[in-house]
Amino acid sequence: MQRAIEGKGIPTVSLTVALDVTEQCKPPRALFVPFMMGHHFGVPFHRELQRRIIRAALDCLIEARHSGEIQTIPVTWAQARQEGNRIERDATTALKSKK
Amino acid sequence: MAHSNDTANEGRQLRPGLWATINERYPGSMITKDDFVPLARLQKPLSETRLSFVSSAGVQPVGTLPFDVAHPVGDYSFRRVPSTATPAGLEIHQIKYPTHGALKDLNVIFPIERLQELAAEGVIGSLTPSFFSFIGYNMDPERFERTLAADIADAVAADGADAVLLSPA
Amino acid sequence: MSLQYLKEAVRDGDTEKLIRYVRLHLGDGNEAAGRKEIDKAWIEALKLLLDVPPTDREFINDTLKEKDAATLAHLFFDLHFYFVKHSGAWIHDGTL
Repeated sequence: MQRAIEGKGIPTVSLTVALDVTEQCKPPRALFVPFMMGHHFGVPFHRELQRRIIRAALDCLIEARHSGEIQTIPVTWAQARQEGNRIERDATTALKSKK
Repeated sequence: MAHSNDTANEGRQLRPGLWATINERYPGSMITKDDFVPLARLQKPLSETRLSFVSSAGVQPVGTLPFDVAHPVGDYSFRRVPSTATPAGLEIHQIKYPTHGALKDLNVIFPIERLQELAAEGVIGSLTPSFFSFIGYNMDPERFERTLAADIADAVAADGADAVLLSPA
Repeated sequence: MSLQYLKEAVRDGDTEKLIRYVRLHLGDGNEAAGRKEIDKAWIEALKLLLDVPPTDREFINDTLKEKDAATLAHLFFDLHFYFVKHSGAWIHDGTL
């Protein structure tokens, strides 16, 4: 599908957590994220990480030199989850202290 | 819980061998290409670009006909999601991927609020009126390309997209 | 196999006894034949959907949402016989 859109002259970039699948179907540009399925943009309430992933994907869209390029982002699933848990805890604490 | 250190896992796929697994269970269903599509270039800065978003995570506006997860060959329809929608107006019926993150914060799979923010801030020029949603369960790759892929590509172009971000489930 | 027998099997969680009954019913007294009849119904249904013909999905969704479980279970048995007949060769067509 991504290839069909690119074929119409519209640049595209996709996210993937499955490098092996992406390498088989050869989309024009892809950003690999080392996350779980269902969590391509990170973890709940981690607004900053979600934005970072979108921006990394858009950078890839602008800067990719060759069709089929797969870029990645320097973050791990463990980091994302730790930060996400902390954000959720802080939000819960803030809510409790308001009561 | 994994005990390996962070740098060893950096850049590593969490579930290796996914292509092989799916191809084993549903032989002939995985799309394999031998060539690369020539890149279309973005002709303007991002701050002037109209961006669209296409997702195969099955996110759909509340009240629309649920995607069909019972059909043995899959569902080749798509739904338009207004790019002004809020997560409260959207739902996910299908459960073939881990949805626990999405159920707490839809943005982890369908970052509609993040895209709206980036457009409002001027990082992205604008968003297309619609985003596009389908489910990634399609056992007939020929039908998929002929119908669903072509339909969404046409719809995205008709909505005036300068660039498209895509994400699977 | 009496109704009493089946109700006891439900109470005891004896699923083997329950599925044996289904197979015997669908196979007209022959369990192995019954197994094949179950598969046949599914095969017929699969064959009908391979070319992705247009179907009335709203009807299906409304039915699943609105009808009670017992009606749907009854429909399930009726659908089994419908597809088995559709295959052109069956043992038990649902009539007594």
